[in-house]
Amino acid sequence: MNPSNGNGSMSTASSSGAWDGRDQFPAGLRVLVVDDDPTCLMIFEKMLKACLYQVTKCNKAETALSVLREHKNEFDIVISDVHMPDMDGFELLKHITSEMDLPVILISADARKQVVMEGVTYGACDYLIKPVRIETLKNIWQHVVRKKARNTV
Amino acid sequence: MELVQIQRSLVDYTKSLFMEGFLDAQFLQLQQLQDDSNPDFVFEVVSLFFEDSEKLLNELIIALDQPNVDFKKIDSHVHQLKGSSSSIGAQRVKNACIAFRNYCDVQNIEGCLTCLQQVKQECYLVKNKFETLFRLEQQIMASGGSVPTIELGF
Repeated sequence: MNPSNGNGSMSTASSSGAWDGRDQFPAGLRVLVVDDDPTCLMIFEKMLKACLYQVTKCNKAETALSVLREHKNEFDIVISDVHMPDMDGFELLKHITSEMDLPVILISADARKQVVMEGVTYGACDYLIKPVRIETLKNIWQHVVRKKARNTV
Repeated sequence: MELVQIQRSLVDYTKSLFMEGFLDAQFLQLQQLQDDSNPDFVFEVVSLFFEDSEKLLNELIIALDQPNVDFKKIDSHVHQLKGSSSSIGAQRVKNACIAFRNYCDVQNIEGCLTCLQQVKQECYLVKNKFETLFRLEQQIMASGGSVPTIELGF
């Protein structure tokens, strides 16, 4: 296991290509999770792996954005914390929605309505409040399916 | 002490931590994630939390000691601590952070200083509780037993 260090590094799960195993779906869902807090990142990674997803973790939004740009079409969904020092979740969300067509879930310990409203208005497909339960993460695949369904109309 | 007795102690001790509010249901989530492929997961995450929270607490001490207190910075640190403590189920730490943020919002330095002490105290207390918990688990495993799982139905 390669834990992310403070230099904005990331660790990748297996490097297999497109996720197309419908029978095993949603196993193999390719998730990029971004959180500058190491405890939360470690827990998310474990939870997502327990959901049988392919997980890549990042502790910096800038790094996450480069990864997404360099590896377009290799991710199905992004989960990002809101409050991060270099670039926050909202900015990352704005970049992702304008540059690529990926569903983004925002996560925060901040449950204030105006913050959630901002996230949803900027295009987050969901906004989860920490602490997140594994049961919630088991359902995130629906956002991928919904987006794909909308795109094929 | 016999294995069964140690196992009994562990169950009782863990239940008391829930009763006294040190831990909440989120801790059970962590335990569920631990398996044979990752038998030290809870220990690793909890250790990471205390390592990281120590840094955050030191930053807070420094930030509150400045002539011009940067409440935004303080709020950011406390927010992070609230997020990580809630993620491991450290309920009393999380609640202390919530109180802390309220004083931050109104820029009350005295209130913030008091809350900082409280957060430090709660971290210290729960750290000791975890150390006892892990010690009991180690004793059980050293005796060849398995760690009993806790159900929150009590």
